[in-house]
Amino acid sequence: MTREPFFSEEFLQRLERLALIARRSTVGQLQGERRSPKRGQSVEFADFRPYVSGDDFRRIDWNAYARLEKFFIKLFVEEEDLTVHFLVDNSRSMNWGQPNKLRYAAQVVGALGYVALAGLDRITISALDHTTGNGNGNHAYFPPQRGKRQALALFNYLQGLLEASGQEPGMPHVPERSPGQWLRAYASSALHKGPLLLVSDLMDDGWQDGLGVLAGRGFEVNLVHVLSPQEVNPELEGDLKLLDSENAGEVEITADYELLERYRRELQTWQEDWKRFCAPRGIHYAPVVSSLPLDELLFAWLRRQGVLK
Amino acid sequence: MSFLAPAALGLLALLPVIVAMYLLKLRRPERQVSSVYLWRRMVRDVEANAPWQKLKANLLLILQLLFLLALIAALARPFTWAEGAGGQATILILDTSASMAAADVAPNRLEAAKDQARRLVDGLPQETRLTVIAAGREAQVMAASSRDRRQVHQAIERIQAENAGSDLSVALELASAMAARQPDTEIVVLSDGRADLPQRLSIKGHLRYLPVGISGENQAISLLTLQPSPGGNTLTAFAQVSNYGETAAQRRISFYGDGLLLDVYDLDIQPGGQQAVLAADLPVGSGQIEARLDEESGDILPTDDRAFAVLGDSQPAAVTLVSQGNLFLETALSLMPGIELTLADSPDSALPQDAQLTIFDNTAPISATLPAGNLLFIAPPRSTTYFTTTGTVEAPSMRPVATEDPLLAHVSLAEASLLDAVRIPLPDWAQLVVVGDFSAENTQPSAASSTPLIFRGQVDGRRVVVFAFDLRHSDLPLTVAFPILWANTIQWLAPGSAGEVPLQITPGETLTVSVPPDVEAVQVTRPDGVTSRLAAQGGRVTLAETDDLGLYRVQWGEDQGFRLAVNLFLPQESDLKPADNLPGLGQDEAQAGLAPQQARREWWRWLALAALVILTGEWLVYQRSALVRLRDRLMNTFSGKKR
Repeated sequence: MTREPFFSEEFLQRLERLALIARRSTVGQLQGERRSPKRGQSVEFADFRPYVSGDDFRRIDWNAYARLEKFFIKLFVEEEDLTVHFLVDNSRSMNWGQPNKLRYAAQVVGALGYVALAGLDRITISALDHTTGNGNGNHAYFPPQRGKRQALALFNYLQGLLEASGQEPGMPHVPERSPGQWLRAYASSALHKGPLLLVSDLMDDGWQDGLGVLAGRGFEVNLVHVLSPQEVNPELEGDLKLLDSENAGEVEITADYELLERYRRELQTWQEDWKRFCAPRGIHYAPVVSSLPLDELLFAWLRRQGVLK
Repeated sequence: MSFLAPAALGLLALLPVIVAMYLLKLRRPERQVSSVYLWRRMVRDVEANAPWQKLKANLLLILQLLFLLALIAALARPFTWAEGAGGQATILILDTSASMAAADVAPNRLEAAKDQARRLVDGLPQETRLTVIAAGREAQVMAASSRDRRQVHQAIERIQAENAGSDLSVALELASAMAARQPDTEIVVLSDGRADLPQRLSIKGHLRYLPVGISGENQAISLLTLQPSPGGNTLTAFAQVSNYGETAAQRRISFYGDGLLLDVYDLDIQPGGQQAVLAADLPVGSGQIEARLDEESGDILPTDDRAFAVLGDSQPAAVTLVSQGNLFLETALSLMPGIELTLADSPDSALPQDAQLTIFDNTAPISATLPAGNLLFIAPPRSTTYFTTTGTVEAPSMRPVATEDPLLAHVSLAEASLLDAVRIPLPDWAQLVVVGDFSAENTQPSAASSTPLIFRGQVDGRRVVVFAFDLRHSDLPLTVAFPILWANTIQWLAPGSAGEVPLQITPGETLTVSVPPDVEAVQVTRPDGVTSRLAAQGGRVTLAETDDLGLYRVQWGEDQGFRLAVNLFLPQESDLKPADNLPGLGQDEAQAGLAPQQARREWWRWLALAALVILTGEWLVYQRSALVRLRDRLMNTFSGKKR
């Protein structure tokens, strides 16, 4: 089976010109291009401190000693890599809509992941399918990787994610854990704090709880709230029984003009609620409709939001 | 309000069914969505008070209930009682006489009557058969026993006023005959009551009379004549103006001749009175005159404010009487109008050659030359070119052969007896009119024989009449029949002579006049200037279309003919005061007819219409979201095009 390439060559070249903005410096693992709070070995001077025994005497500043007759050690800014966390909500409600929300989410993650890889950053992806359990198979977790050479692995992983979701038609089932529990668990298990991008439709309770914990743990949370056009503007009419794709939930409505109008108003207040929730916690909240073209989202929209430069 | 089909109200039980269906909610089609999260979030507050909450402010439910209510109400056929005609069948008689053109009710009485008739028709139950009769000079059935209301309306629309009196009796008799065939028939007469009616009329069916008109304020020219003045060089017009109203009227009458104003008189006429005007010394002109009353708002019928008169302009017939003296003939001829009599003693003397008629009384020309023109021989003593005398017979008794002969119209000869008669074998050009039976004593006893006594015919382009007996040897001149026979004879022999053609007739009157035998057709010029040809039949022309008021001219040959004025000198049409009941009809019947009658007015049509409107509204409400989407799509398309 030949997979169609995730992105075109030209698109990838355009992506390479972008870079992720990290608002905070975080501790990394390997040397990279990001400023680290640690003092290290770059060419950029940071500070002096008195010599204590055990320090590397090669780093004593002899000029200072000549002037002050005391040993000082010259400290330089350490530049390290950055671990970017990608969280994809691949619940069944995401695998829906025209254009498909999950596919859209995978594309966003793929593009931004490539940007990060190209920027010598480390990326890790977790599919937050809280209904199937963490670490269940390959496609639930993409372990931290860095280097542009990992791009193919990234795209393969995302492709696999999409296919796995497609393979699971059938009965709605009760989730094992709520999204809140999921995010809580991720926050405590992640080794390196860093920028975190969550792509989800947020169609469940408990997201706010988990996001609050993530933000509190020092993750720099970016929230891409993706909705399909059908959800923004439902084309329903008449007496209908709406069935949830995830669980056994159902709602009976009489879809007439007023009801749809009220639905749209409700959607707006919901997004307003999210905005109000995110702003004080330093979370970037970006509501996106999956019909928005990807390059428009990346090259214009997220730039305006301050996620990319 | 009552219902014709109250059983349909039982369907009201369906109303709770609709409500119950809303409460129970029928099985809905299922639709998969990504998540009901948002929907549930929204519906949560709505469903809090279910199910009663759901009924609140549900426009669709209200509309559906209204629709069902309107439909059930229509099925129950509600009706109200309205004043109108009823019965199985209704016959509408509309008076279309000249008086119905009066404008005391806007726009005029006939239109008002038509409006009333339309309302009446609309108020009738659907099953009622309708007949519409327009009663003018003749009764005309516009729509016969029709249930098609559209047809009836068209029939009423077609009715137009005529310039004539109305003959309601014919219409009533017709209606009565129709009513006799169908029981429970109502006859409605819409008239101002100014109509000819026989004294007693027995009407079958229920008669109602709906008077039209409110006022009787009208002045009319009721008479207009034109005579040569005694001097001969001028004319004198005599007009009579009547005030039929209830208030005194000041009017001005103007006389016009050949389009020029000739004379004006101011009149002050008491109510119910008349005033005569004598306008003397009018120029002769073309011998015709028109009289007009000035326009006056108090006059509701303008038609009778104009009148026309003509001077009798047919030339007097020149008649030559060749006689040794006959008192009967001279008296009879001198009494006849329009005859210019020339007396001659001898048939062989120089007779006037241009005479229209030459009468030989007891004489005949010896020389063979007969004067031109028509000839009348009375007891000719010798043979002439046209017949041969073969002796005399004694005491023949007169026996008419052709009773329908023009000479014998209205004549009864039974009483007359003769002393003797000239015996003339019937020539082959002649028709027998009267024969004389006698017993031929000379030849064979008791063998009855007969001889022509009066015969007529056309020969060599002239009319010839022969009376084979001497008037002085008979008591015929003393009988009633003689003047009529004499007039008939002169009229046949000298057609078109004055006296035959009246100078004035009323509109619609049919006029038959004699024309010379060689005239095949005449030309008729109407008041509006339109000319038409009328074919003559048997030397007579019938002028029938005289509806328009004004001057008519009938011409033949080069300059022969006569003029005729058609005037509305009909007191019953000019006296416009509407009658409270029909003259001639018994008070009881009219009163009974005036009693208000109730008719059902049904409302189901309106209810059905309302149901239709509600149904449309319900559909629009139901499809609102689709309509809004359609509108958005259209606007997108347009804005996309703009870009």
